[in-house]
Amino acid sequence: MFAIIYKKIFLIIAAVIVTVCVALIAWFGLNPGIDFTGGSLTEVSYDVAPDKEQVEEQVATMDLGGVSIRVSLDDAGKDAYLIKTRDLKEAEREILAGMVTSLGEGGEITRFTSIGPVIGQELQDKAGWAVFGVVTIIILYIAFAFAGIGTPVSSWMYGLVTICVLIFDVLVPAALMAVLGYFLGVEADVLFVMALLAVLGYSVNDTIVVFDRVRENLKINRVEIKKEKKEAGLMHEEIEYRLTKPYEEIVGSAVQQSLARSINTSVTTLVTLSALYLLGGSVTQTFALVLFAGVLAGTYSSICVASPMVVAYAQWKGKKEAAMDAAMGVK
Amino acid sequence: MSSTPEINPTEPQSASFLRWFRVVVILSVVVWLGFGVYQNTTNPEAERPFKLGLDLAGGSHLVYEADTSGVDPLEVPELMNALRDVIERRVNLFGVSEPIVQVESSSFVSENQIERLVVELPGVSDVAQAVAEIGRTPLLEFKLYSAELDQQQAANESLNALRETASSSGAVIGNVSINGEAVVETEEEILSPFVDTGLTGRYLETAALEFAGGNSGQLSNEPLVSVRFTSEGATLFADITRENTGEQLGIFLDGELLSAPVINEAITGGTAIISGGFTPDEARELARNLSFGALPVPITLQTTQTIGASLGAEVLDHGIKAAILGLSLVLTFMILWYRLPGLVAGISLLAYITIMLTLFQLIPVTLTAAGLAGLILSLGMAVDANVLVFERMKEEFRSGSSSRKAAETGFTRAWSAIRDGNITSLLSAIILFWFGTSIVKGFALVFGIGIIVSMFSALVITRTLLIALPDVKLRDKGLLSELLGSGIVFNRKLATLPKDTTSPDVGPQ
Repeated sequence: MFAIIYKKIFLIIAAVIVTVCVALIAWFGLNPGIDFTGGSLTEVSYDVAPDKEQVEEQVATMDLGGVSIRVSLDDAGKDAYLIKTRDLKEAEREILAGMVTSLGEGGEITRFTSIGPVIGQELQDKAGWAVFGVVTIIILYIAFAFAGIGTPVSSWMYGLVTICVLIFDVLVPAALMAVLGYFLGVEADVLFVMALLAVLGYSVNDTIVVFDRVRENLKINRVEIKKEKKEAGLMHEEIEYRLTKPYEEIVGSAVQQSLARSINTSVTTLVTLSALYLLGGSVTQTFALVLFAGVLAGTYSSICVASPMVVAYAQWKGKKEAAMDAAMGVK
Repeated sequence: MSSTPEINPTEPQSASFLRWFRVVVILSVVVWLGFGVYQNTTNPEAERPFKLGLDLAGGSHLVYEADTSGVDPLEVPELMNALRDVIERRVNLFGVSEPIVQVESSSFVSENQIERLVVELPGVSDVAQAVAEIGRTPLLEFKLYSAELDQQQAANESLNALRETASSSGAVIGNVSINGEAVVETEEEILSPFVDTGLTGRYLETAALEFAGGNSGQLSNEPLVSVRFTSEGATLFADITRENTGEQLGIFLDGELLSAPVINEAITGGTAIISGGFTPDEARELARNLSFGALPVPITLQTTQTIGASLGAEVLDHGIKAAILGLSLVLTFMILWYRLPGLVAGISLLAYITIMLTLFQLIPVTLTAAGLAGLILSLGMAVDANVLVFERMKEEFRSGSSSRKAAETGFTRAWSAIRDGNITSLLSAIILFWFGTSIVKGFALVFGIGIIVSMFSALVITRTLLIALPDVKLRDKGLLSELLGSGIVFNRKLATLPKDTTSPDVGPQ
């Protein structure tokens, strides 16, 4: 199976992607939405829109702290401006609304959001805890579900690799978001977190499907060796498994067998997301884009990262044990 | 219904009948549900229409923070419920269809316990009016005048000087008549000489407009507001008046002193009269506001969110179009790739959508953009379950099993992957629902329901339909065999599967 044979190349590519993504996120940073920082977002749309400078000038007359104004289209396709300020009190909101709607013809506030800083902070905390909880439960469940898989890699390792793959899958869309945020001012809002959570679910499912096949093939390709041991006067029966084929070959065939499924599921998901991106409104467009990147990453990682990582670990462990055995032998 | 007899000569006819009977039952139920959904959606007077969230229907979303600092933490839940009831009554007064008023506590992971009140007003895009309506709700407080505090504060300015600027008014508490002074000044200066008694609007049962009878030194026909306390409030009021006879009791509305009558004797009747130089209209409004909503705890507006109705409609419209296009593309792909099983998967997916929509209407689940995202993701899981089964089935079919046997083995073999994938997703959904804020909750709820229904659709509906299909083998050739085989062959020499198949033999029951 190509993914296993060329595992070094695929793992290096993955490492490069991770490095680039981390660098992008560190360099550009995510542009957190007001959901997280607190603040106000006002969308004002016009039949005939005024110049951006005009709006900026007007808004500057109010003392609203750091104001950012962005050109956009509202969902009816009319010209609009997105005005981001600190969180506004009711009176300030009214003044701002009155001011900007009168600037152009048919001015209308199409969206207004104001979020207190406390709520934003709380949302951050909650998101952090939720992700922590999900990751923990996934490791525990996989370790439990794959328990007994034993030779040569313990079930905990599968859980750990699933999490590594998951981090890879989440980093890619997050990096995309950082780039979009830097160049287009797209904000990482709650919907973005939602998309990341969806990617997370998709990624885990994808990895599990491949590992499930590995688990099955391992069970088929092993022989039981029963050993009876006498210990403290009690007879113990120990069962050892020995694989009838090399581990990497077993994993390779598992990847091969689940390849069609991985690709088909990804294609159907990507098709749905494309439809959502092309036809869905502006609200779900970023969402679809982020998910698209996540699913692409997930497809690559479930084929070219997850299993190669397990095999690489098994080989490393094998070498280490051989070295230790050799060392013992010398003694 | 041509089950080929040479493959399974011993199969009784009743088994074949049963297989088709199950198919007919399942399809009828799905069609019936679909009809129900259609009726509930198109009929404007349907009992259970879709509930659209604010981001889809347009409207205002307000979050108030309640100041519960002065309250015993044990009493907070009860107080918040009382607050919700008051605001709910208030909101209902201005005729919005299906407003939502709910209490939201900050979760246990946050350091400070903050109690919030979330108000959702579908269709109200003029948030200023809504805020004004809710904000007008008065907070009634009774506070005792403390001479000590006042002297400290008014050391520079004499009390008389303050009183000069104030309009005096008469007031009556219960059956006692006294003359109180209404002091109008900046908030801090008036508030400080008064001490909280714990008696607030939460102990109020009713308030009514009355006119003074002209006795006891009152102005004749002066409009008054009489309030009746709940039994708890009456006890408290009696205690306060008994212990503080001769003191001044300030009556505050929204932090503003209305009147500060002197307590002449203990009042046990549980009623009080507020006078403050009202016009009849003012008094009527105050009485109404008090009986409909004297707030048990003060609240401040934290978050405002308005979505124009047209924007919401656009989002929904786009979303539906995207969903229809996405679904038809997926169905086309499945049919092209898996042929007959693909068609079965298509029917099963449509059934899945129908069941989900029915659940949305029955539970009911409020649909938001986040919820739709959850739906799309769980649809992906539903497709995935089918794909997993079909790939397994294909392997079996190619290695010589009859199509029905291949289908059964396919389900048995794919089960562990479907189970593990879905359980981890379900666990994630539960955690998200537990920790999340309302928008994450919406996503998690739909996603969670979606996972359960998708497993049902793949394991029950797809399975029943697939097993009811004619039983053929690959070597039979012919159209049916072609239709049941699927897709492009990636690798003609499939990884050799052992022929043992220790999996349980799930024959037709």
